[in-house]
Amino acid sequence: MSNRDTLASEPSKTAGALARHWANEEIVALRPGPGRLQSAWRALSKNKLTLAGCIIALIYILLGLFGPVLAPHDYARQDLMATFLKPGSPGHLLGTDNYGRDILSRLVVAIRVSLSIGFGITAISMIVGTLAGAIAGYYRGWADTIISGIIELTWGFPLILIAVILTGAFGPGLKAIVLAVGLINWAGFARIVRAEVISLREREFVQAAHAIGVSDGRILARHILPNCLAPALVMASNYVALAIIVEAGLSFLGMGAQPPLPSLGTMIAEGKNYMLLDHWVSTIPGVTIVIIVLALNLLGDGLRDILDPRLRRA
Amino acid sequence: MGAYLARRSLRMAVILIFASIAVFYSLRFAPGDPSGVTLNPLAREEVRAAYRRQLGLDKPIYTQYFVYVSNLVQGKLGVSLVNGAEIWDLFKEYGKNSLILGLAAVLVTHIIGIPLGIIAAAKRNSIIDQFATAVGVLGMGIPNFWLAVLLIFLFSSKLHWLPSAGCCEPRHLVMPTIVLAAEGTAVTMRMMRASMLEQISQDFVRTHRAKGLSEWTIIGRRVARAALIPVISVAGLRIGWLIGYTLIVETIFRWPGVGYLLVDAVIRRDYPVAQFFSLLLVFTVVVANLLADLAYGIADPRIRYE
Repeated sequence: MSNRDTLASEPSKTAGALARHWANEEIVALRPGPGRLQSAWRALSKNKLTLAGCIIALIYILLGLFGPVLAPHDYARQDLMATFLKPGSPGHLLGTDNYGRDILSRLVVAIRVSLSIGFGITAISMIVGTLAGAIAGYYRGWADTIISGIIELTWGFPLILIAVILTGAFGPGLKAIVLAVGLINWAGFARIVRAEVISLREREFVQAAHAIGVSDGRILARHILPNCLAPALVMASNYVALAIIVEAGLSFLGMGAQPPLPSLGTMIAEGKNYMLLDHWVSTIPGVTIVIIVLALNLLGDGLRDILDPRLRRA
Repeated sequence: MGAYLARRSLRMAVILIFASIAVFYSLRFAPGDPSGVTLNPLAREEVRAAYRRQLGLDKPIYTQYFVYVSNLVQGKLGVSLVNGAEIWDLFKEYGKNSLILGLAAVLVTHIIGIPLGIIAAAKRNSIIDQFATAVGVLGMGIPNFWLAVLLIFLFSSKLHWLPSAGCCEPRHLVMPTIVLAAEGTAVTMRMMRASMLEQISQDFVRTHRAKGLSEWTIIGRRVARAALIPVISVAGLRIGWLIGYTLIVETIFRWPGVGYLLVDAVIRRDYPVAQFFSLLLVFTVVVANLLADLAYGIADPRIRYE
């Protein structure tokens, strides 16, 4: 493309040179282009905000993985002689809360809880949803009728409402939230993957694979599902943010993580009564959750721009 | 249209039956039973058994379900286990408060979100556009309970302008409405802006410009109307979200609505109340989704229901 542009700006070239040039370009075009991941990475590194979102999410993942191991104190240990220490106090980088517990140590455990629910459950529901959507969209028939019926039942239901109802069943704790996120979010993945598969299975390359006797499983795995990855990934980054917000929200109300296990929601709730004098007890977890949710949203928006070819405009 | 409505209504009925069974069974799963809520913790086992018999809890769950449904149909909603209040009375009082808060939030969402989206798209890359984008990103990034904590700190603790919780004067309504509307406003604004930008590049806009219509007539009348369609369809879906967030916002501000009541009932294990209001909210979500589909068809005559 760029070759042709430079050529157009040099009108002195003869028609023969033009033909030779285009012939060369065809050859260039036949060479394998950069891989899907490679070109996605190139686009990502160009889009600064998306890159920032990606890096922040990675930092959080590292914090969640290794933070609790490296934490300077036991997250549950109270020290009533050292309550409300300001951030930067010796031995307590982010200060202490109303029970004298080390906020940094609690924060990294809370991040682990948030991310386990956010990423963990979203990963599982993405796998289940993608499989269900692929089966429904590829085989149609009764399988589609049943799966679409279940999607219809669950999709679009407010996560928080389901989580609260399930809390009624299981009692307060993370179990109800995990179950609610899993029950509702797979349907979102199943829905978009099904629609995508239905349009893909009629395309020539799938028909061609069919004609030369490639098995259904291989067609799905090699030719159809890779093409569904983009919308599923975009959805995943938004769903992770959503799951994190719902977990924190219910924990804030006292229906989620139960003490002594810290969650960003419970930490905000415990600190909110001390906002006037010792605001950091609440603001530190508050800012922590805003940053990760913003980062995931930026990542989702950026991925949509990068991976969705319909939006990729010159 | 008639056939479509009939089929959708049938599907809605199926969803409601499944949902009611699911709600009914899951609340029966709960550890402990209602006798632990109302009776003295030291009550003897015979007393508990008698109490369970009185509530019909000794029968199999499916029998209880049919009894419950037939009572529901006859309008017998039962009473709260905690304070003996008639659920019908709770419904009237708390439902009204929720409706007020919900309508206020929907109004604020669209009165701010739609014009801001139109202006941001019309004056692309201007200061207003950048402001709108910042509002959009922040509105979607700040969880509503954290926004509530910040607003209470600012307007109640620091400035003493607004009460931090309670009901039912207009000043009690201000902060819950802002918190409930924040995310929806951000989403509506972003969608309206994106949808406007998509419409502005279309041929009919060029035709209008060629005809010599003023830019504001084109943007305000023609483009905005076409751009509203996807926003309306999402508005319907957002009612479900709004109901979800209501649970958190009403509880934080102790606004006596259905959301507050449901969270309270779940925490206190007031099963008849939790059951009825769970079903009520599920029903509202399902109906809202259906209405959203129908509104979509009215807004865009090109859509035909088969």
